[in-house]
Amino acid sequence: MRSAESRHAAAIGDAAALPGPHFGLRSRLVRTLSLLGAVAVGAILIGIAVGSVTVPLPALWQVLTGEGSALHRTLIFELRVPRVLAAFATGGLLAMAGALMQVLLRNPLADPYVLGLAGGAAVGALGAMLLGLGMVAVSGSAFTGALVSTIMVFGLAHGTGSWTPTRLLLTGVVVAAGWGALITFMLVIGPTERIPGMLYWLMGDLSYARSPWAALGTLAIALAVISPLGRSLNVLARGPMQAATLGVAVRPLEWGIYIAASLLTAAAVTTAGTIGFIGLIVPHMLRLMFGADQRLLLPAAALAGGTLLVLADTLARIVIAPEQLPVGVITALLGVPTFLYLLYRSRF
Amino acid sequence: MVCCPVESMYARSAIARRPPVMMLAAVLLIAAASVATSVVAANGRVCVVDDLGRDVCLDGAARRIVALSPAATELLFAAGAGDRVRGAVDYSDYPEAARAIPRVGSHARLDMERLVAMQPDLIVAWHSGNPAEQVAPLIALGLTVFYTEPLQFEDIATSLERLGRLAGTETTADAVAAGYRAEIAALRARYANTAPVRVFYQIWDEPVMTVNDTHLIGQALQLCGGVNVFGELGRQVPRLDRESVLAAEPEAIVAGGMGEDDTDWLDDWARFKEMPAVQRGNLYFVPPSLIQRPTPRLADGTGVLCRKLERARAQR
Repeated sequence: MRSAESRHAAAIGDAAALPGPHFGLRSRLVRTLSLLGAVAVGAILIGIAVGSVTVPLPALWQVLTGEGSALHRTLIFELRVPRVLAAFATGGLLAMAGALMQVLLRNPLADPYVLGLAGGAAVGALGAMLLGLGMVAVSGSAFTGALVSTIMVFGLAHGTGSWTPTRLLLTGVVVAAGWGALITFMLVIGPTERIPGMLYWLMGDLSYARSPWAALGTLAIALAVISPLGRSLNVLARGPMQAATLGVAVRPLEWGIYIAASLLTAAAVTTAGTIGFIGLIVPHMLRLMFGADQRLLLPAAALAGGTLLVLADTLARIVIAPEQLPVGVITALLGVPTFLYLLYRSRF
Repeated sequence: MVCCPVESMYARSAIARRPPVMMLAAVLLIAAASVATSVVAANGRVCVVDDLGRDVCLDGAARRIVALSPAATELLFAAGAGDRVRGAVDYSDYPEAARAIPRVGSHARLDMERLVAMQPDLIVAWHSGNPAEQVAPLIALGLTVFYTEPLQFEDIATSLERLGRLAGTETTADAVAAGYRAEIAALRARYANTAPVRVFYQIWDEPVMTVNDTHLIGQALQLCGGVNVFGELGRQVPRLDRESVLAAEPEAIVAGGMGEDDTDWLDDWARFKEMPAVQRGNLYFVPPSLIQRPTPRLADGTGVLCRKLERARAQR
């Protein structure tokens, strides 16, 4: 998956040896991220401009400049903007968490949910729905479930033996299977009229997003904290032995990645249910396009993940309106061909 | 309806988090509100109490109504407010005029933008059917929401009356409610002392689903002198395997179906020759829309059901 060139760059963390022949790391970072940032802003504007109700462009401009009819203001500021921002934050969180998990487990199939966190969150959320509790309780319960699962997997993987990625992965996969059984059980005993809501939560749906600020805040903090670690992550991606040799404190770094990825995923799942696919595919797409340098990959994942989910949710809202599609249908329909095309074209 | 009647559910979600003094005040408020189900003030302001015990007030009759379940649409038409219904959800197919109303998605997933763009002055929501995460933002936007959750025959009559107050069509609504009450009372009187018939009612096929005694259909079975073989089960809509239906030895099987005249589900039971219901030829179809929707047509559906059970009695 990685070129020899970028492997070499990753191993020594040297800016000059990065792919992209004529630019240093800094200018390459700036160039790529501003491109992705511009695309993200464009996607957000499209998400705000398009909906199942048509707001003409002049009216949209009036609303954005503080005028416009009360109805248009409600549509834009109360319905579209919060949902679009929540979609962006959720997509960004999931893509970053996925990139971190793939480094931590050194496994290309790792995604934010591979260690059972989504299962724990789902059991929490569905449990609250079964009891007929309100949306605040559902979100809180999902977050608690995610943390319980994280701590459980971490404790069990630690066990009495050594702490290896394989052990962590196996523990996580088995715990996830356990949560899966509980989820099926809850769907079976659940009252018929609550089943659709539970299924929409499991498929992931931005209707559950009430306010984007918690998710956006988490994303911003995560970027600020994790981006400076890019160089150490590059080294860790080569394997713990090399990393230790090169002076990286492997154990604390791995724990840190695990906790960070878990918190990011928990924030995403709490906002919009278990949206699949983004966390697995976005980091791979970016690696195929820009190489495996974590200093670039993590912020790029935040931007690209957010962009993909904003576009997917916009389509989900309008494709067969007034019927509303779960966003996961669209993320896969958009992402699968793009990813396969990139993979087919790639030389690796 | 997992665990508790609507009133206590409301009490838990809305009141439980508040301090005791406020809780007491809120309880008194609800008590006071439910004594007077509707108040028309001099200035034209109308207030009614919805099925969750919330006060729903309008400054004058509702002109633009959106109904978030097929049954709510039907109730509004029956209450004489059909021409005020500007938005409805999928499967709102009765009366015929309801088919032409613009849609705002399905009851399980609403198109929020279209709904808000209709600028409704009243939204009739279905508490256990509509997603809470979509109805709560509508209330937060300042829209007026009336929750329906009919649990017994009488709730349909009072829903008609309350929706009639909100739409300013009391005359029609009250007359329809009175007619419905009279039909139910007549059925109740006619079948009060009939011999019990052991019935299995099937509302779904894969998996086999039935209802217990607390469900409206369960109550209709009781009214007709039927004894629901699964009436004692804890869940309102229990899922079963075919073995347990065989073991319950019903004298009659009543089923809806995928459509208004689809008897496939009954044909499937006919292969179990040892069942009393099959031996006596007591496999009956009741059109699902007549009995599975909490609307005034439930009186017709209950009448059909009672006549089927009467036939089962005659074939002993």
